[in-house]
Amino acid sequence: MITTTALTKSYKHIPVVRDVSLRCEPGTITGFLGANGAGKSTTLKMIVGLVRPDRGTATIEGRPFVELPNPTRVVGMLLDASAMHPGSSGRSTLTIAARMAGVHPRRVEHLLDVVGLTDAAEKRVGAYSLGMRQRLGIAQALVGEPQALILDEPANGLDPEGIAWMRTLLRDFADRGGTVLLSSHLLHEVQATADHLVVISDGAVVTAGRLDDLLASSTILVRSPDPVALVHALEAERIDYVTGPGDALIVDVCGGRVTTEVLAGVARDHQVLLTELRQSESNELEQLFFSLIKAATSQEVAA
Amino acid sequence: MTTSLFQRTFDLYAAPPNPGPIPFSRLVRVEWAKATDTRAARWLLALVAVSTVAIMLAPILAPARFDQTYTSYLEVASIAEVIFLPVVGILMLTSEWSQRSIMTTFTQEPRRIRVVKAKLATSLMLGTGAAVFGGVVTAAGLGLAAFSGQALEGTLSIGDIAGYLLYLLLNVLGGVAVGALLQSSATAIAAYFALNAAAALLGTTSTLVADWIDTATTWNWVLHNEWGGHVSKISVSVLFWVAIPIAAGAVRTLRRDIG
Repeated sequence: MITTTALTKSYKHIPVVRDVSLRCEPGTITGFLGANGAGKSTTLKMIVGLVRPDRGTATIEGRPFVELPNPTRVVGMLLDASAMHPGSSGRSTLTIAARMAGVHPRRVEHLLDVVGLTDAAEKRVGAYSLGMRQRLGIAQALVGEPQALILDEPANGLDPEGIAWMRTLLRDFADRGGTVLLSSHLLHEVQATADHLVVISDGAVVTAGRLDDLLASSTILVRSPDPVALVHALEAERIDYVTGPGDALIVDVCGGRVTTEVLAGVARDHQVLLTELRQSESNELEQLFFSLIKAATSQEVAA
Repeated sequence: MTTSLFQRTFDLYAAPPNPGPIPFSRLVRVEWAKATDTRAARWLLALVAVSTVAIMLAPILAPARFDQTYTSYLEVASIAEVIFLPVVGILMLTSEWSQRSIMTTFTQEPRRIRVVKAKLATSLMLGTGAAVFGGVVTAAGLGLAAFSGQALEGTLSIGDIAGYLLYLLLNVLGGVAVGALLQSSATAIAAYFALNAAAALLGTTSTLVADWIDTATTWNWVLHNEWGGHVSKISVSVLFWVAIPIAAGAVRTLRRDIG
């Protein structure tokens, strides 16, 4: 379990993170989604005590990180794969992590095998590719047999095969009751891995919830051979819409007030022929994502 | 690859549940490993060793220019070591900041002051190791000199040996202090040598600086076991070069956001 309450941080009076509250339950993977510079990394670093929040608190398994007697036994972290000593070998990097965690040194060999670095174990980390460092970082995160994982952009530098491998690994970890919090700036990445989503923009959470709910509840796509008539019908019923792909319209569900059934009824009442009426597909979540970010930004401007 | 990940490790190599705090001895062992297992670190330690051996040839090959005494030979050993030992001390405290692996270290042990203490302890261990090595080289040098027919004055008190050890450790700590304060390898190394040169330069015009601050004066009293009348001056020097910057560096380390 990872929770934060109203985490807030400014650098030189510029707010970077504003009132971020998260709750990551055991058995789930939470995707922390936002554009670069949205405040994801700063939030994660506040959770693990590297950055001191101006306000707010964070706990892991019920305790503030800095009060955990041996933190890597509770939470595994991959915050920056380039923040490893380039002069050390992969094996000695992991050995140090294992010693700090107080786990059996045999676990190092096992983890090297798991992340596919056995052959490169003696090489200096400086000679590793970004993908290899990322794998080493994941091994390092797992070394203490933690109950929670915090990963900042874990897919960075991994090839498609590596990304698929990591997804399986994280799913497996969560299925065994582990808690995963991972950040990404790529929606499709989060969509493929996470079951919960928190979207952050300009340091503030703009939406959060189960991915399925967000996907299902977000928008409905509706298409008619007579788009003008459809627009009139929607406007008559005061239903908000935006233009979608082709001549289709994307209708906001307005918190559940508008459903496909409601729209079918509107079409019947106004005698508009519909050729398509369905929940927006996942690739349209991207539009939601960007519209949320845009909405948050324009609110900012308006304020 | 993943299927076996959790089962096998949980079964075979499972660590004891409910781990307590990380013992300090383990932190020191880890810092020792970090300080000795990279190629750069080994080169630096090898440089200390080789230069100590090389400089020991001087009093043997040019006997007329050196006092042929045990203490003089020991002093020769210290000359080479104090060039590099401060750098060892600096890197001990800065390299993890420069390589950014400090981020990992402080998530492994968030009580940062314990990490600083472990690095300090490791520096002192390395300094003591260098002192012992210097002693062995001195003994070998003396043996070689005696073998080549030099008449040696063989007095070496416990005080001489303690002074030699303390002198080397002060030099290590001088590096540690600048490193702890500045938290960047390049800046700290440059600052260390610039500050010492500045103190020496100021010492030529001001006896106050020469007697209380310039380590070429104050720490040499330690090396030569000349404590009489110098204790307060040596103490001020230690405060200025070691105690205050380490304390300030510790505070800075505790407060710093690691981005």
